[in-house]
Formats: sequence, structure tokens, C-alpha cells
Amino acid sequence: MGKVKHPVGRFFIYFGLTLFAIYSLFPVYWTALQSFKTFRDANSRTPLFFFQPTWENYSELWLRSVPEQNGELIAFFLIASVVVLLCLLLFAQYIPLRNSYIYLAVIIGFVFILWIIPRLVDTERFYDYFINTIIVTVGTITVSITIGCLAGYSLARYAGIAGVVILIAALAFRSLPRLAFILPYYWIGVFTGLSDTHFLVILTLVAVNQPFTIWMLRSFFMDVPKDLEESAMVDGANRLTAFTQVIVPIVWPGIISTALFSLLLAYNEFLLVRILTQSNWTLPVAISRYTGGEDPRHLTLAAAASISATVPLIFVILFFQKQLVKGLAAGAVKG
Amino acid sequence: MKRQTFFAFAAPSITVMTLLMVIPLGMAIWLGMHFMTFDNILAPQFTGLDNYASVLSDARFWQSFQFTALYVVVMVPSWIILGFLMALVLDQVTGFIRGLYLSIYLLPFIIVPVVGAIMFKQLFEASGPMNYLYAEIFDARFRYNETTVKTLIMLYGVWYVTPFSLVVYFAGLQTLPGELLEAASIDGATSMQKIRHIVIPHVSSLTLFISLFSIMDAYRVFDSVFVFSELNPTYRANTLMTYTFQTGIQLERLGRANAMAIITVISIMIVLIPNLYLSYKEQMAER
Repeated sequence: MGKVKHPVGRFFIYFGLTLFAIYSLFPVYWTALQSFKTFRDANSRTPLFFFQPTWENYSELWLRSVPEQNGELIAFFLIASVVVLLCLLLFAQYIPLRNSYIYLAVIIGFVFILWIIPRLVDTERFYDYFINTIIVTVGTITVSITIGCLAGYSLARYAGIAGVVILIAALAFRSLPRLAFILPYYWIGVFTGLSDTHFLVILTLVAVNQPFTIWMLRSFFMDVPKDLEESAMVDGANRLTAFTQVIVPIVWPGIISTALFSLLLAYNEFLLVRILTQSNWTLPVAISRYTGGEDPRHLTLAAAASISATVPLIFVILFFQKQLVKGLAAGAVKG
Repeated sequence: MKRQTFFAFAAPSITVMTLLMVIPLGMAIWLGMHFMTFDNILAPQFTGLDNYASVLSDARFWQSFQFTALYVVVMVPSWIILGFLMALVLDQVTGFIRGLYLSIYLLPFIIVPVVGAIMFKQLFEASGPMNYLYAEIFDARFRYNETTVKTLIMLYGVWYVTPFSLVVYFAGLQTLPGELLEAASIDGATSMQKIRHIVIPHVSSLTLFISLFSIMDAYRVFDSVFVFSELNPTYRANTLMTYTFQTGIQLERLGRANAMAIITVISIMIVLIPNLYLSYKEQMAER
């Protein structure tokens, strides 16, 4: 579309944009304010926008007891190591080492930090839920992208009628209400004794997200010309090698987009985890426990928990905005 | 690609979907024919079609159906209209500003739905700014009741899903045929005429896509209703999903809940089957 040039028109454009931005951001902003308030400030009669901020809600949420000595030192050490790892990740391409080694080192570093935290400070249950969320999310992404890539690729290349039938069946399953699957999963969980395990949650999350994943990945694989793997296969590679060595590197940005959506679906899932787990909750279920109770302290704790769960997602937007938009567009244009 | 290779590649995915989607759906139909609570879950008592019949004659089930239908009817047009308008406005700016606003708009879409609903609720707590505003405007204390809870659920629905249609339309606007717009400008078309005769037809396939997916997503709304109504029956804000959840998990009538889920599945088929048929024809033509 052509751009509006009239100054009054421009004014209304920015006015509309900002108004919608306020609508989008205000609930998050207010909750962030609440999470830094003392109990008294959070329950004041009129809404309080300026106050003396405090960390006490966060420390109550994450820590069973505040370390008596060296607390600042430990916090500084942890934050510094996270910053170092993030910098390594961002500037990996400028370091004269194979990137995969650097990524591996960063992953090991993060796992080590997560492992060492409960050994340095006395963490609350909320930290366990956070770890559960990471395990479930990473597990779901890994399994669903691996099997989804294989299926998406073969669906993009196979012209038989079976392929179309599978795609349409997947579309139907993607559209059905989740509860029709989750209630039988509960039965399966009790029957097999897998109830309340990460294994069952990951497996079922992979299954319910598989239709979406294969449609999206297929749309990315369709964009790759067939000649590429055919020439690789003429040179003697079999189809699997041609796939992993030639096709996957080309489609990698699309795979990242799809992985982001898998991340969101696993990280955000409430209903499935609520029904299939009794104590090994992930964050959404853990946070839902802070609403509706009679305990007045839950007001600020819910705020702190909400912000804690949102911060990782803000990083996702900052780093991956382009891939998110691209994934949404690809799903819409072709799905 | 040969048939054999295809099945070899797709096997893991097909296995997972068969074992954990096709079979559970069949199981749900079967479990729906039983009287089952948490105590006798492994030895449920067969009751035939009783559950299905009693769900269909349950007034609260139809009440949930009504609210779900209302939610779909109000939400889908709001998402489409607001998303399209905001995409048009966002298309008017470029560069850093565009990226910045896009990032802000994406936040509600990727936030954990339960958390987003809790954030909305914080605004209406006794000390919250919306509570204060409400008292100033209506000169009455804000209370949770049927009207306010339903309004909150809808306001939250707009907040949470509009970014999706916004981004889809925005991507569609980037593929507008430039020559056509230029030709229209030379012929003296106003912006309104261009939107009406060029832009809207160009994005019509996206409108169809958004409406189909949002109908089905709105039909299974759960998280926000769970947080706002706390499944309290006095608000009469149950949707099909929350009522099924309540029946199965809170009231421990698992067989009945399975029957309810199956009836919901059948009812969504009315929208789903024409859509599937269209996609089928499209895919057959494309291959």
C-alpha cells in the first residue's frame, strides 16, 4: 500500500499504533509493578505507580530461605556466567572455532548452572517446576522436530494419494478439541503407570503438536527444488544422507521457525499437564495455583510468578522476532 | 519419491499420530460408554449409550454450548476486523519503528495463556487501575458476576488472539501487487477504494484461513475461562471445554466427560468437514 503523507493522517497512524501497543503491554507492565511491591503497597486503595521496589516476592517464590552470607556473591557469579554464555552464543560466528563446539559448550554451561543452583542456595518448589518446564519443552522440541522433519520432507516429495490422506487426517486432528485426546491419555497414564512422568507429558505433547509440525515443515521443504537432492543422489549419496547433508542445512531457518512454535506450544500448555501430572507440574499449572485462593499473599506471588515465566519468552521475541513472523506467514499462506 | 521410501521416512510420525491420536479418539468413544470415576478407572462399569443420552439432555451442557457459540460469534469477527485494521496501520511505518511495534504486538500472542489471564485479573484486583477506573466511571464497586466475567473473557480473547491475525494480514500486505496499486493511483482511486477493491480481495484467502482456524480455536477455549471463572457455576461462564473438564476431573465422572468430549468433536465436524474437503481437493490438484 502507498504511504499516507498528510501530517494529520500520520498523526492518527502513530496514535493508533501506540494505543494498541498500550493495550498489548499494559497488563504485563502492571503485573511487573505488582511483583515488585510489598504486601501493603500491592493492596493499597488506589493504584500505585510509584513506590519503593522490593525483591521480596521473587525471593519468596524461588527461595526457601535467603542465604545468610555470600548471597550477593552467589547471585553475581550466576548472573555473570549467564551473561558470558549468552555473549558466547551471540558472537559465536566471530570466534575461530567450529560453531557446533561452542554451542555444545554453551548448552553444557547452562545445564551446569541449572544443576548447581539448588546446591548453592535453598530453592523453593517453584524452581523444580521451572526445571520440569525446561525438560518437557526441550524433550518435546527434540522429538517432534526430528520425526516431524522426516515426515514433512517425505510428504513434500511423495505424490501418492496416501500422502494427501495423511495430511488431511493431520489437519482434522489439529482442529479437534484437545480434551477428546487428553481424557484417554489420563486413562493410558493410569493403566501403564506412566502418570505424572515427564515421559508421558513429552510423548503426548509431541503427538498433539505433530499435525501442526508436519504441515509447517512440509511447507518449508516444498520450497527446496528437487534437483538439489537428486544431484546429490546421482553422486552416490543415498536418500537419507542427501536429506541430512543437503536438504536440512537449506531448510534450517524454517526448522528454527517450527521449533519456536513447538517451544511455545510445550511451554504454554496448561490443560494437558494439569490432567496428566499430580506433582511434576510445569510453570503454567504451578502458576494457576496462585489464583483464586483465599491467601492474600497470593496476589503478589502470582505477579512475581507470572513475570518469572514471561521473561524467557521476552528473550524469545527479542532474538527470534523474524522467525516467528515468518512461521506465522508460512503457516497461513500455505497451510 | 518411491512409496517405500515415503513410508520409511514418515513411519515415526505416523506411528505417534496413530497410537496417540487415532486410538485415543476411539478409546474416548468407548470410555464414554462407561460409568467411570477415579476409583474404578481400570474396571469401569459398562452402561451403553446412557452417558451420551444424559449429556444431550443436560441443561448445563447446553448452557455451556451457548456461551461457547457466543464466544465464537463475538471473537472471530473482532479478531479479523481489528487484526486487518492494525495490519494496515502497521504497514504505514517502516524500519526500526515497525520492528519495535511488531515485537510489542507479538507479546500477548506468545505469553503463556494462563499467565496472560492472571495479568488481566491483576488489573481488576481491589488495588488495580481498571478497578479504579471502573469505580470512577460507573460509580460502583467492580465485582465478579456473570456479565463482568464474560466480558473479561472476551476482552482477554481480543488481547490474546488479535496479534495472530494481525501478523498474518501484515505478511499478506507485503505481497500486494505494486503495479496494480500504482495503476489505481494514476486512475485517481482513493485509499478507501484501493483497500476495498484491491487489498481486501488480495487477502481474502487469508481471511478464510484465519476464520477457519480461529473458529476452531475459539470453540475449544479453556485456559482463560478457567482462570477468570475459576469454574464457579454462579458466573454461568462455562464453555464446552471447561464443563467437560469440570465433569471429568472435579466431579470425577470420567465416562461422562469422555462422552461430552466426543459430542463436542461431532459438533465441530459441521465446520470442519467442508474445510477438510476443500483442502483435500486443493492438495489433490497440487500434487
